[in-house]
Amino acid sequence: MTVGLFDAFGALSRLGARAFPGSLGTLRREIRARLQRIPTRLNEYGYDEFGMHPQTLEDVLLLAAVLYRYWFRVETHGIERVPQGRVLLIANHAGQIALDALMIGTAMILEAEPPRVIRGMGEYWLPTVPWVNLFMTRTGSVVGTPKNCTDLLEMGEAVIAFPEGVRGMNKLVWERYQLKEFGHGFMRLALATRTPIVPIAVVGSEEQAPGIANLEALGRLFGMPAFPVTLTWPWLGPLGLVPLPVKYRIYFGEPMHFEGNPNDEDEAIAEQVDRVKEEIAGMLATGLATRPSIFW
Amino acid sequence: MSDLPAYDPERLFPFAVPRDVPAAPQPAPAAPAAAAATHRFLHPQGGMVPGERVLITGIAGSLGRLLTHRLRGRYGVLGVDRNGWPGHPADVQLHLIDLRKRRFEDIIRTERPDTIVHYAFVRHFRGDPEIRHEVNVLGTRRLLEYAAEYGVKRIVVLSSGYVYGALPDNPTFLDEEASLNVSRTYPAIRDLAEVDHLVLTFLWKHPEIATTLLRPVSMLGPNSHTAISRFLRARLVPMIVGFDPMMQFIHEEDVADAVVLAMEKGTRGVFNVVGPGAVPLSVAIRECGGTAVPLLEPVARVLFAQLFQLGLYHTPADAIDFLKYSCTLDGRRFVATTGFTPRHSLRSVFASIRRR
Repeated sequence: MTVGLFDAFGALSRLGARAFPGSLGTLRREIRARLQRIPTRLNEYGYDEFGMHPQTLEDVLLLAAVLYRYWFRVETHGIERVPQGRVLLIANHAGQIALDALMIGTAMILEAEPPRVIRGMGEYWLPTVPWVNLFMTRTGSVVGTPKNCTDLLEMGEAVIAFPEGVRGMNKLVWERYQLKEFGHGFMRLALATRTPIVPIAVVGSEEQAPGIANLEALGRLFGMPAFPVTLTWPWLGPLGLVPLPVKYRIYFGEPMHFEGNPNDEDEAIAEQVDRVKEEIAGMLATGLATRPSIFW
Repeated sequence: MSDLPAYDPERLFPFAVPRDVPAAPQPAPAAPAAAAATHRFLHPQGGMVPGERVLITGIAGSLGRLLTHRLRGRYGVLGVDRNGWPGHPADVQLHLIDLRKRRFEDIIRTERPDTIVHYAFVRHFRGDPEIRHEVNVLGTRRLLEYAAEYGVKRIVVLSSGYVYGALPDNPTFLDEEASLNVSRTYPAIRDLAEVDHLVLTFLWKHPEIATTLLRPVSMLGPNSHTAISRFLRARLVPMIVGFDPMMQFIHEEDVADAVVLAMEKGTRGVFNVVGPGAVPLSVAIRECGGTAVPLLEPVARVLFAQLFQLGLYHTPADAIDFLKYSCTLDGRRFVATTGFTPRHSLRSVFASIRRR
């Protein structure tokens, strides 16, 4: 239930705001002001039909914004390229925990003009995980079924998807920035709904939690698709979840428009998917070549 | 109910609206013009004509009574029920029988109703499961047979949104094409899915009859004794730790309106019927005046199973999936076909069963 974890979380973030009235208070006011500019259909209890709860989102965003500004010191390039109306954001995925999604979402709230809530497409097992399912839905994400994606796009939302899925999220440190196989679902949905695709390259996330092994069998035991082992996890317990303070650089590409039959053969779809993948790979290469260091 | 403003689920709440203050009622939207695309779901013979006769099964239940009051005067109303309705309107013919009885056929043969509304289902688990199955499944099968045999023009069957089942990979808006998974996760109510399947088959076998299958979301109301209303009326209501699924609710009067609308428009097909919106289970419990009791899932499973077996609790353990995962529906087809707009807001739905 929302009470419990989220109340504790909200109380913590409010307590933080009281303890550091200058910085956190200002940050909270900034987040609220930007959230209030986003038109959202809410019912009389403050929820949208997908289960998003802007009040909870505000609490989560406060913590996310601290990570964004002071931990990862995120730098965005070309965020103004994200068009208004329905759009599919497609990015590389890494880092064991979906902080890349959180940072892109925070960027779209803090930096985009006008600010937008990004709707994530969650893995199918996430709804079965206690609290994680709540975190996911209350902050505007949904389980990544084609129907959910189509509905959100038809409502003019910005949907983010990571076609690498868990394959990318749990890649090992020596595989960093090598894009794994892309799923085809996003392209079929983009074709069916005639939605522009914005390719996104995230530089930094792939070193935040360097994976050295993936014990899939152990993961299955816990009903998870993976069980990553990093330099710090699980050795340091919950502390091992803290990511390295890498420098995040998020590159937004030009919107790509595709046309074709959404029910075409896999080969035809794969060609179009590859164009998106190449675009991301290109931006990743540029970002990696120009960064002075992993950490700044 | 007539003094309630029409509720528009599409109205835009800017986030800046103070969240505790209910928004001012909006003017009723213009009825959407019946687009050509919706004709797929309208039967060419048209809707009910005043003076026609309608048979309601389960007429003595809360929904049957609401329907009767909406229909009598314009149409001839007769009904069958296992239970009596003391003081029923004099112009309503009431037959005290069970759908399993031979006399049910006689009634249809001699009375020749133009329309049948079928809502005679056993929805609780107190009795013999075999009788539940007989009434629900065999009763429906017979009703459909007689309807085809004796020239009934229209049938409206009230199934339930639960037939889709609560699964973790359910999309937020399950549409009418989604598969019916409830038998997999909640075998105790698989007869509802069986009824649904029977009607679906009938729908395609008998194109001459305007058969409508309505799948409303959780129905609440001062008179309704549905599984969900029993669940939410309790003082202490169990939840599962770490879960708080979105649930959609609809007022019993809006369901009755939806049935009348289906009959009068002459719909044909399967329709989800969605009310004013969705809230997390915890909000529904709070708004109905109860206290949520979060239980760890394994504890809840054992507790539900034991208490249910002892007859101390009304909900079997399989229902726990509905406390974890959402089973929320896409109601756009019914709205586009009939112009249906629920009149009760969420607040009013919850207030209708709120503990004093």
